[in-house]
Amino acid sequence: MEHARPDTIYAYLPWIVAAVIGGGLVLAQAGRSLYIRRLPAIDAIEEAVGRATEMGRPILFVPGLAGVDVPTFQAVAIAGRVARLAAAYRTRLLMPVSNSVIFTMAEQVLREAYASAGGSELFRPEDIRFLSEDQFAFASGVIGLMNRERIATAFFFGNFAAEALILAETGQSLGAIQIAGTPSTLQIPFFIAACDFTVIGEEYYAVTAYLTREPILVGSVWGQDLSRITLAGLIFLMSANMWWLPEWIKSFFSFW
Amino acid sequence: MFQPVQDRWRNVFLCVVAFVAGVGALALLQSLPPAHRRRLTGIVTFVVGLYFPLEFFYPRHNFLTPWRDSVSEVLRVLAAFAFGLGAVNLFLIHGRHVARRTPNLIFSLAFFAGFFLMAGAGLMNDFAKGFLAAEPKVGQLGFWEASYRILFQGALLPLTSTVFSLLAFFIASAAYRAFRARTLEALLLMVTSFLVMLANVPYGLTVTSFLPDEGIWRWGRIENLVQWMMTQINAPAMRAILFGVWVGAVGAALRIWLSLERTFVSGP
Repeated sequence: MEHARPDTIYAYLPWIVAAVIGGGLVLAQAGRSLYIRRLPAIDAIEEAVGRATEMGRPILFVPGLAGVDVPTFQAVAIAGRVARLAAAYRTRLLMPVSNSVIFTMAEQVLREAYASAGGSELFRPEDIRFLSEDQFAFASGVIGLMNRERIATAFFFGNFAAEALILAETGQSLGAIQIAGTPSTLQIPFFIAACDFTVIGEEYYAVTAYLTREPILVGSVWGQDLSRITLAGLIFLMSANMWWLPEWIKSFFSFW
Repeated sequence: MFQPVQDRWRNVFLCVVAFVAGVGALALLQSLPPAHRRRLTGIVTFVVGLYFPLEFFYPRHNFLTPWRDSVSEVLRVLAAFAFGLGAVNLFLIHGRHVARRTPNLIFSLAFFAGFFLMAGAGLMNDFAKGFLAAEPKVGQLGFWEASYRILFQGALLPLTSTVFSLLAFFIASAAYRAFRARTLEALLLMVTSFLVMLANVPYGLTVTSFLPDEGIWRWGRIENLVQWMMTQINAPAMRAILFGVWVGAVGAALRIWLSLERTFVSGP
């Protein structure tokens, strides 16, 4: 692993971003009301759970193929919210996983989600299944599960690779309502083509804040947006620097 | 940082001590009241999480660098603890299907057969080549190695490729839905994808090959047009999404590191 060079901006940029996000957290803690724009895909989660309840068929939640990483943690957190809704609607939630660490985390999160919604007796540990760590063995396991259980709703959140379209198209053929979210840019087009709603890009990391409206999470999302605007402005300024800025400003920026 | 232990028995002894210490630490953690447990895991998360950014953003070969491999290995060992739980879960689910003779019994039997065959062949191939079979001579293919090859290269890899090949058909059905020109965006998508596909097949290149590759007419050649689309439209859009994703990832990582978001371990 190459270390960051202290004579470039890269060594400082993450700390600056972290400081801006930290600023958002402080503002939110201080009670300031912060705005997050509407996310139609997340608004549709309750509708999708309700549809499964009406049809009397289970819900499927796939937290991606990756192991212990930030996108998968986000996926498990979203699964907790979906499980809470499923428990409130008395609907079964199936969650196949491809990593044993995520399996233990998912079991704990779903157990507590069902308990918090007053549906502890509905929680079935066997509905959280460790299928395989192999990509296509996992995909074929999930396809089998989807077909056998005739799922009515499918959620795909997390890191996906080539299996994304295999899963989403299977759900489409079953007539399931599908909501997906992934930070993997290569899989976004597949999900957009095959799912009813798709969360893309930075929206993926705003889902838990949007669902819970907890001040700390909302503050963090607000800080992220401010960081993005600042960084985009910096990129614009650097690009403009190439054409029309005076030499002395160019030499200042050339330090970075 | 640490040199591998060469003495076999000392190695075994250290492994047993580490295992007992690990199990003891987990049992101790479980016995703590939930509030203390959360605080302790929060502190450990913060200290361990601080290591990597400090090591990376501090100038190279600093005092933290020699510990890098050891810290990574500790994380791998911790992950290995949870692996057993995954196997136990599989056995419980499929064991229940077998015991109750459910309609999915056949799949559960296939699981047990596959698990024991693959694990048995792999372990024997690595550790006991002569078990229930003749010890292979140098250059000779032994029974267990042949079994392992048949199961892995002859069964698992073709099965994996079969599932992967389904993707071609799924791409066709998804493309059919995505490219129906019902809106202006869908029409643009359809035209763009048609051009990109055409530029990637040999016949497509011949369609505009009569045009000169210089001057203003070069943009009429499909390969140049598609190259421009991919580098000037597609790549910036992808980078913009990635830009948003990575700033979002920093924010999410910060929340996890400071234990501000715990819904992924303790539920909503």
